[in-house]
Amino acid sequence: MRALQIVKYGDIKDSLAFNEVSKPAVQATDILIEVKAAAINPIDKSIILGNLQGLLPIPFPSTSAYDVSGIVVEKGDDVSNFEIGDLVYSRVPQEQMGTIAEYAAVTSEAVSKKPGNISFEEAAGIPLAGLTALQSLEFAGIKANDRILIHAGSGGVGSLAIQYAKAKGAYVYTTTSTENVQWVKELGADRVIDYKTEDYKTIVKDVDVIYDTLGQKYTAEAFEVVRKGGQVISVAGPLDEETATMFGMADYKLPEELATLSAEKDASYKFIFMHPNGAHLAEIKTMIEDEKIRPIVDTIYPFAESINAFTHLATGRAKGKIVIKIN
Amino acid sequence: MEELIEKIKSSQSLSQEAEDYLYSISTNKTFAKGEILIRQGQRVKNIYFVTDGCLRSYCYDKNGKEHTLQFAIKKWWISDYIAIHSDESATLTVECLKESKVIEFKAKDLELMLTLFPDFERFQRKILERHVVSLNKRILNQLQLTASERYDLFVEKYPAIEQYTHNYHIASYLGVTQESLSRIRVEKAKH
Repeated sequence: MRALQIVKYGDIKDSLAFNEVSKPAVQATDILIEVKAAAINPIDKSIILGNLQGLLPIPFPSTSAYDVSGIVVEKGDDVSNFEIGDLVYSRVPQEQMGTIAEYAAVTSEAVSKKPGNISFEEAAGIPLAGLTALQSLEFAGIKANDRILIHAGSGGVGSLAIQYAKAKGAYVYTTTSTENVQWVKELGADRVIDYKTEDYKTIVKDVDVIYDTLGQKYTAEAFEVVRKGGQVISVAGPLDEETATMFGMADYKLPEELATLSAEKDASYKFIFMHPNGAHLAEIKTMIEDEKIRPIVDTIYPFAESINAFTHLATGRAKGKIVIKIN
Repeated sequence: MEELIEKIKSSQSLSQEAEDYLYSISTNKTFAKGEILIRQGQRVKNIYFVTDGCLRSYCYDKNGKEHTLQFAIKKWWISDYIAIHSDESATLTVECLKESKVIEFKAKDLELMLTLFPDFERFQRKILERHVVSLNKRILNQLQLTASERYDLFVEKYPAIEQYTHNYHIASYLGVTQESLSRIRVEKAKH
């Protein structure tokens, strides 16, 4: 089968190549998906560039990407929750990375039937960003009348987090640039802050939860605007100590600045590391079918133009997901 | 089973022998919400008579989006007739929208019954006639009526179904987008 593979770390165009490879082997708990669409995320770009080789080293060549939608064409002996012919979507686990290919094998625990009211392309754009948003806001225990600031509302994670928080009845502040204000408003955010013309710190005060999708200075700033006893949830800032221990970094300490800010405000800090989860995807499926969440697709590239999809992703200007139509 | 016998006898006589045979080829089954009775792409052997609950038949297009062909509520039949009569793989999926009780018949057993019991053949012919009328009306309604008028007919035909269905089930049955269906409902609510 044909697959887009990472052949070395480095510049996108030099590091990706189309190769003819064997169909992936199907283990007892796996299903084999005939891939209809795959989607790419910033992590895929970071892997190619080699920025994550310490945390997520890959052998060469490795087929790229994690997000997928398609049709079940084969299943392992221990799989009872899917049948041949089911239409599914998934964020595949690290060890099964490789969805920009004609087939992908995935442990059935990471798979859900896809929402019936959206296309394969729309469905492929959901898993990684949707799981990140759901697992973050579920950890925060977001509920009706909570006030939350979600940074980067036009991003893959931000756009889904806004819709998830609204579905739970929260009051949502979000930040975005001028050209995205209108469509981000249409996602349901209560107060869209144009960071080019407004200072979010003068508008957002004492909110219950900050969802930091940007990292850098925004992680520390979160403690300025969160209420006393509130929560800062991050997918882009430093690891918290518990998460670091989970990754075997026993001596890790939260950077002193954050530890001090967190203590001063009596506000918690948690880094969320998204994990593949079919049950969570099934929850998102229901929310999409109930029209509480809608997918946002920026561009769909044909399989043969997958490398252009990555250069588009690298511009950081996509409004919604970049999807590759495989078949 | 009584519902089916009652339904048959409301329009014609049915000999005891035919009734006994019908019993002998039937199987009562209960399916949970979300269970699949017929799956697109697989062989189809069975026809179902609904005694309670709600089922839906649909297909998905090449983009993976679902399109609803039929809802089946109490006293309705459901299957993939294209597959059965053309001896092809299913073009439809049939799923339960809520816990449903059905009487399952093997299509070949029903076929044999037609040759054994002419009374039953008459009943089957009437079902078929009503089915053809219903399909013709559905096509004509699609061609002639506005989406709002089609929605009115839908609500009349399936009065309580909206509590079991997602909007997209109904929107795809009516051939409109989910947004259009929401607009239609808002307009109806104003009057």
